[in-house]
Amino acid sequence: MKPRPKVLVVDDEPDYLRIAARIAAKAGCFVITAPAALEGVRLASSEKPDMILLDVGLPDISGFEAARRIRRDPALARVPIIFFTVRSEVDMVSEGLGLGAAGYVLKPFDPDELLRRIKAAVSPA
Amino acid sequence: MKPVVHCVTADAAVAAFVRAALKGLVLKFYPSAGKLLRAWKGAGLAVIDAGLPDMGGGDLVAVLRGAPATAASLLVLTGAGAYSPAAAAACFDSGADEYFSFPPDPALFRARLLNLLARGARPARPAKPAEYAFGRLRVSPEARTASVGGAALKLTALEFDLLLYFLRNQGRVVSRSVLLEQVWRQDSPAGARAVDKRIEALRRRLGRSFGAKIRTVFGLGYIFKL
Repeated sequence: MKPRPKVLVVDDEPDYLRIAARIAAKAGCFVITAPAALEGVRLASSEKPDMILLDVGLPDISGFEAARRIRRDPALARVPIIFFTVRSEVDMVSEGLGLGAAGYVLKPFDPDELLRRIKAAVSPA
Repeated sequence: MKPVVHCVTADAAVAAFVRAALKGLVLKFYPSAGKLLRAWKGAGLAVIDAGLPDMGGGDLVAVLRGAPATAASLLVLTGAGAYSPAAAAACFDSGADEYFSFPPDPALFRARLLNLLARGARPARPAKPAEYAFGRLRVSPEARTASVGGAALKLTALEFDLLLYFLRNQGRVVSRSVLLEQVWRQDSPAGARAVDKRIEALRRRLGRSFGAKIRTVFGLGYIFKL
């Protein structure tokens, strides 16, 4: 049997962290969480998740910067990252997607939409 | 100069449909939201496939409509299976001008699109509609009035703001702390319990059929689904 995909969720807002973790679990994933960006970067490097759900407005460094650092690890250079944020300015979204993100989901979000995107990211067609 | 129709889709069938239906117009195609956003200047008209690989159609409409430079009309095309009145309402709420289930009738699609183009570029406008109407429920954000079946609802200012926030974020999970931040607008001493009490009151005032649309998502918060 194939092991369950491992998903890392990074968000400093406990409610969103819990909601997103629950949705990822519903998608059949094993979930690990981090409440800050640097901890997320560390966890990514030690746990090698199959997908990362990343907030952008984090207290220590931005989600975009975290994504850049995560991608420097050759083993994570292609890990799908979905940004998950209230930031909806064209420049921000464009920058996020320009980092090669698998998706960009605005908060507050439709749980079905997030579930679909997580499933698609962990089991690409 | 002819206006440009920007079409964002990863689906060859959608691209082929648009190319055939809009023959003679200046068309530009983008395979993802990211590619469109990088090139976005705000003019013309955009045809948005709701099933993009990198972003939901409603989210992309909200991003484009929120940009000060956007004067363009925004059309959303959704897969036939993904169509729902609530999804359509959410797209219009984000600032879409038209919403079609794919494939629409090509002649009708072309006529409606030309109609929007003929009205021309207009100043960017706020995404907020003048009035929300969902069956018997009517809510006017400007007049700050709400009614069910023509009977005015007596809401406190906070309850009205709460209702408006749910209407603008329908189908999305909103947590108690987000409500405290966005509706109460302060890190007030009001806690999660205050949110629950106020929502209970709002449900009662909305009456049985609409009150039940604000559902509790255990451990997470609330979701308003019509």
